[in-house]
Amino acid sequence: MNPLKNFLFELQEITYLIYNAFIRLFKRPTYVTEIIKQMDSIGVGSLPIILLTGFFTGGVLTLQTYPSLEYFGGQGQTGQLVAFTLIRELGPVLSALMVSGRIGSAISAELGSMVVSQQIDAMRALGTDPYKKLVAPRILALIFMLPLLTVAADIFGILGGGMVANNLFGLDYNLFFTSVRNGISLQDILGGVIKPLFFGLIIGSISCYKGLNTKGGTVGVGLSTTNSVVLSSIVVIIADFFLSRGLQHIFSAQSVGF
Amino acid sequence: MLSSEPEDQDQSKPILDSPEFGESFYRADRAVPAIEFRNVYLAFDDKVILDNVSFKVRKGETKIILGRSGSGKSTTIRLSLGLLKPDDGEILIDGQDITDFTENQMMKVREQIGMVFQEGALFDSLSVYDNIAYRLHEQGADEDFVESEVKKMLSFVDLDDAIDKMPAELSGGMRRRVGIARALVGKPQIVLFDEPTAGLDPPTARTICELAIKLRDIQDVSSIFVTHEMNNLEYLSSEYAIHDENGGIVFEEEGEKFCLINTEIIMIRDGKIIFEGKDEELRANQDPYIKKFLNGK
Repeated sequence: MNPLKNFLFELQEITYLIYNAFIRLFKRPTYVTEIIKQMDSIGVGSLPIILLTGFFTGGVLTLQTYPSLEYFGGQGQTGQLVAFTLIRELGPVLSALMVSGRIGSAISAELGSMVVSQQIDAMRALGTDPYKKLVAPRILALIFMLPLLTVAADIFGILGGGMVANNLFGLDYNLFFTSVRNGISLQDILGGVIKPLFFGLIIGSISCYKGLNTKGGTVGVGLSTTNSVVLSSIVVIIADFFLSRGLQHIFSAQSVGF
Repeated sequence: MLSSEPEDQDQSKPILDSPEFGESFYRADRAVPAIEFRNVYLAFDDKVILDNVSFKVRKGETKIILGRSGSGKSTTIRLSLGLLKPDDGEILIDGQDITDFTENQMMKVREQIGMVFQEGALFDSLSVYDNIAYRLHEQGADEDFVESEVKKMLSFVDLDDAIDKMPAELSGGMRRRVGIARALVGKPQIVLFDEPTAGLDPPTARTICELAIKLRDIQDVSSIFVTHEMNNLEYLSSEYAIHDENGGIVFEEEGEKFCLINTEIIMIRDGKIIFEGKDEELRANQDPYIKKFLNGK
C-alpha cells in the first residue's frame, strides 16, 4: 500500500473506531465502573508527572524570559508571559505529550497484548463488544481527564514561574500574580481547555486503534506501542496548530461581534 | 452415540433405529445441523484460506478437523463464531444463516456457543472465578447463581482449588481447563475447540480430550475439535463416556463390537477438504498426503 493510501485507510479506520465507540456508549450494558476506573488511572495516575512537568516548565519559562524582559524594563510582565504561554500553548501540548507517553503507550500495549493472546476474540466470543468495553471508556476518560490535567499543569506552571521569579530574581509575588491576573483573558482559558478535549480524543483513538490492530506477537506489541506514541504526539502537535488557528478565528469573530 | 455395525451404514439410520437412544433423538430439531458450511470461500489478499468448504456438524456430534498449521483449520472455527466473515458461501448455526449477521446480531448467536482457545485466552487481570463468571457477569446474573455455576464448572474440569488464583499462577494445562470451564458457562449447545492440547504434556492432553468426550457423550454437545495431534484423534474417535452404576463417569473403548458414529473427521489441505468420514475410513485411505500425515511425516 502506498503511503497516501495507507494514510487514508488509517484515517478511515480511526474515524470508524471513534464512531463505533460513541454509538455504543449509550446502549446497555453501560460500563460506568470501567469508565471510572480509566478516569482514575488516566487522571489521578498521571497527576504527579503532569504537576512536575507544569511546575518546571513554568520555572524554566521565567528563567529564560526574565533577563530579556528586564533588559527592556518589562520584568513586571513576567507573570503575564508565563501564564499566557502556559495556558494557551505549553500547558495543553505538554500535558497531551506526557499523557500520550504514559497512557497512550499503556493503552496500546494492553490492547495489543490482548489481541495477540486472543483475549479480544475471547471477549467477543463471550458476547462482549470490545469497542464498548475497552475503547469507549478509554477515549471518554481521556476526553474528560486531559482538560483537568491541563488546568492542573497550568496552575503548577504559574506557581513554578512565580517561585523562580521570586527566589532567583527577587520579583515580588504580588507583582507576579497581578501580572498573571491582568494578562490572561477568558478566551485564553477557554482555548486552553478546549484544545485538550481534542487531544484526548486524538490520543485515545490512535492508541486504541494501534493496540487493536497489533499483529505479529510480542514484537508487534512493542511496535504498535511505539507507533501509537509517535503518531499521537505528531498528530497532537499538528492539531494544535489548526486548533489554535480555528480558536483565534472564532474568538476574533466574537470580539468583532461585541 | 454407538452403532453395533461399523461399516456400510447410512449415518442417520443407526441412530434412529437404535432403541438405546432417548426420545430426543427422534425430535425434528435434531435433524437441523448445529453448524453447516455451504461452499465457504475466504481469501486474505491473494492467499486463499478456505476454498469452497462445505460440511455439517450434526447435533451431538464432534467434528475433528485435522490439518497442518496454516491449512485453514482455526479459520473454520473463527468463521463459525462470526469472528471472521466469508467472502462467499453461507454459514448456518442451528439452521440460522449467520453469514451477513452484524456484530450485534452475532452476540445473540454466540450465547449458545462456547469457544476454547489455543492458549486458553484467559483475561490476565481477572481471577479464575471472574474469568469463568465473565459471561454471567456481563448478562447481569445474580451473584449467588454465578457462584454456584462457577463452582459447578470448576468441579467439571477438576480444578476446585484454583478458584481464587490469577491466570499467571496457573500451568498451561490448568489454563486450558479454566478456558473450557469458561466456555461451558451458560450451557452452550455448541463448543468449538481450537487446538486445546497444543504444547501440553500427554497426560494433560488426555484430560482435555476426556472433557471433550464427556461433553459429547454425557451432555450431548455438538463440537468442532481442531487439532493436528494424532493422539487427540485416537482418544476422541475411539473412546466414549458413560455413567457407571455409582453415577460416576467412566471411559470405554469402542473396540470390535461398537463404532462411534457421533465423531467424524475432516482433513483440510491448503483450504480444501480432502477427506471427510470416520476414523476407520481415514486410516484406510490411500491418499499419499493423508498417509504421510497419519504417520507423522
